[in-house]
Amino acid sequence: MVSVVDMAGPWAPAIRILLFAGLREQAGWAEQHWPAAPEGDAALTPRQLWLNLKLPGDLDPRVRVAINQQFAGADTPLQPGDELAFLPPISGG
Amino acid sequence: MQLKIDLHSTSFDPLDVLAHWQTEQQQRGIAADAAESLFVGRVRDRASDGAALKALELEHYPGMTEQQLERLALECGKRHGVSNCLIQHRIGRVLPGEAIVLVAIGADRRGPAQRCCQELLEALKHEAPFWKREWHADGTSAWLTGNTPL
Repeated sequence: MVSVVDMAGPWAPAIRILLFAGLREQAGWAEQHWPAAPEGDAALTPRQLWLNLKLPGDLDPRVRVAINQQFAGADTPLQPGDELAFLPPISGG
Repeated sequence: MQLKIDLHSTSFDPLDVLAHWQTEQQQRGIAADAAESLFVGRVRDRASDGAALKALELEHYPGMTEQQLERLALECGKRHGVSNCLIQHRIGRVLPGEAIVLVAIGADRRGPAQRCCQELLEALKHEAPFWKREWHADGTSAWLTGNTPL
């Protein structure tokens, strides 16, 4: 379940976006790539990408954001090459 | 602090793992801890709605899950001043009765060992990216959106 929206060239690495569990099944995809904002433009944020990717509704506060495998805020500026994950409510152990 | 973390894609016997961990420590010349606290979690035979459970599926975020477990264990272990920590967690399809998680903590006193074990277990349930999906006997399934009460 990997789809590529728009692959940027190696000179401008895209942002890799991952979904998990119920959120992945709701959206119908597991991974996409989105071009990073051109140099000089304001950086994209997870919240903007959530809307751009037409993920369901507004970004639910129960959905956590991870950037490069670290928890992060939904309004953190994204850099080219970042790995962004939207994590539905966690239920381990 | 000595730390060992493993994710198992097939069933594991928590007591065998614990015995092996202790033997490894002895072989490395590490003295046995005066206090050990351990928790074993197993899959119930009932789903959250009370229906019979056929299996529990555990998904994780490869890379981040392991990093989070390590970070949580190191922080918790440091806070309580414990000397040994073992975390074993299942991924994939887990059957009722099978172990899903083992947390073992070694320390010089029972207080730090017990407190660290409980705190680390709660931390990993809420802060390590795992997701549970219940599979019912009729073939339907549902992702859980939270943890069972303490």
